[in-house]
Amino acid sequence: MTQPPSQGQPWRQQLIGVLVVLPALGLILSLIVYPVAYSLWLSLLEKHSFFPQQRFIGLENYLYLWGDAEFWTSLWLGVIYSFWTILFQILLGVAAALILNESFVGRGLVRGIVLFPYMIPTIVAVILWKWLLNDTYGVVNYWLFALGIARDPISFLGTDHIMLSTIVMSVWQFFPFVLLSILARLQTIPEELYEAAKVDGATPLRRFVHVTLPQIRGILFVVVLLRSIWMFTKFDTVWLMGEGAGAGRYIRTLPVYAYMRTLTYYQAGLGAAIAVIMFAILMVSTALYFGLFREEADIG
Amino acid sequence: MNGWRLRHRSSRALLYGGALLLVLQAAFPFFWMVSTSFKPPREVFAQPPTFIPGDPTWDNFGRLFTTTNFLIYFRNSMAVCGLTVLLTMAVSAAGAYSLTRYRYPGRGKIAGLILCTYMFAPIMVVIPFFILVKKLGIENTHFALVLALTSFCLPFTLWLLRAFFQTIPIELEQAALVDGAGRLRAVIYVVLPLALPGIVATSIFTFILAWNDYIFTRILIASDELKTLPVGVQDLFHSALTDWGLIMSAGMMITIPALIFFVSVQRYLIRGWGAGAVKG
Repeated sequence: MTQPPSQGQPWRQQLIGVLVVLPALGLILSLIVYPVAYSLWLSLLEKHSFFPQQRFIGLENYLYLWGDAEFWTSLWLGVIYSFWTILFQILLGVAAALILNESFVGRGLVRGIVLFPYMIPTIVAVILWKWLLNDTYGVVNYWLFALGIARDPISFLGTDHIMLSTIVMSVWQFFPFVLLSILARLQTIPEELYEAAKVDGATPLRRFVHVTLPQIRGILFVVVLLRSIWMFTKFDTVWLMGEGAGAGRYIRTLPVYAYMRTLTYYQAGLGAAIAVIMFAILMVSTALYFGLFREEADIG
Repeated sequence: MNGWRLRHRSSRALLYGGALLLVLQAAFPFFWMVSTSFKPPREVFAQPPTFIPGDPTWDNFGRLFTTTNFLIYFRNSMAVCGLTVLLTMAVSAAGAYSLTRYRYPGRGKIAGLILCTYMFAPIMVVIPFFILVKKLGIENTHFALVLALTSFCLPFTLWLLRAFFQTIPIELEQAALVDGAGRLRAVIYVVLPLALPGIVATSIFTFILAWNDYIFTRILIASDELKTLPVGVQDLFHSALTDWGLIMSAGMMITIPALIFFVSVQRYLIRGWGAGAVKG
């Protein structure tokens, strides 16, 4: 880590520094911060998504959502979806990282292959899984039948199973992120710590709890935070999985609902209000999370 | 000693078993996609399914290139992603350099702001962005799409490059400056060569991010001849609902560039950039 020479940079130098960072700062402010601030204003309007008419209606959009059963259903479905996908991503990701941190023949290749699902476009992941889970010709249904587990084909993408299928598919797609982050940290744990624990006769489980876990606590804190933000606001995976089969209503999470209000019902104000509520939920949860895990936050 | 060896051997077996499972779950869906894309229509629906196509054919790819707009989508994706990488990298390399090499009031705040924008998910940005773009009259253009993708990639590239520039010793530039080189010359001849691997890796990550994007293109692009691959292929999926051979060949053609780029930066990923190096 290098630090720039102390305080005393002449003002001309400082000015050059500011000028050089300005394009990046300008783009962030105009392309991210301004649109998000604008959506606060938008959420107070009744506005058609395609025509210029708009009318200021104060908090009416929020009042409408308060009494809107679909909004509450979306919130609940989003919580279910985020909770289960995050839980299994973390469990699988940590377990896989522990495996890939051991040395064995072909480790480099395995590490590469395991990251594939995370690197492909979501649309590919979705059509892959829709083909695997196809109720008539899908290979998964064929196996279940051949192994005598199911006598009739299971409609994985139908109303009863769509949430489960989407959770499984999302865990498959996103757990490599957890794996990658944890693995990077595991590689920096000094071997001596494990040697010392071995000499003391610690079992593998005790070594994990007393040596590994304290070391990965910091990165685990960050990973859970990032994954929670990204799963709660995940749009493309959920939207694309739900499309077509008519079961989309059963996985309509908040981001999908915000999209539909804006582009199916053309109620841009209402769509923006949902986005603002999502943002507020994230802010409050993040603040709580930092308060709850203050110690980990310091390490991370 | 024997008991230890036995335990050791069974734990090795467990390790290899776990690694095998990991490979199978990641690779089988891809294997199945490749296999399906080479099957003639009748074999696609064969029961029981064949794992290796009995009668492999390029027919699905032929139809993909001749009867659909796939090649147009492919060209659009390349153009949009290329421009996004150029814009993002030019702006963020300069920004990251400034953040690590100059001291001015508010520098820490800018770094904090970048981290904060990680919280702004695409769905929250894209709705107001869409309305603003309509107001400016640039909806349904690649220009608006490139700006949107840049907004999505920029915080992440700034953060990565900042971490990267921090690892380059500042003394090297100072030595060049003392030797009478101007700041610009010092940057070009001293800093850039050292930063090149990081810049290349970050560019490729940006390319993959832009290449995989669905939501911005879906919302900002209306005409078919401007669509990029993920949206184009989704529409294809709707119009060719049961032509799984064709759909799988399209899936394969989008995946290949992403995977080639991924393999070329994979060692940077695993070498310990960790959580900062990926997004989504």
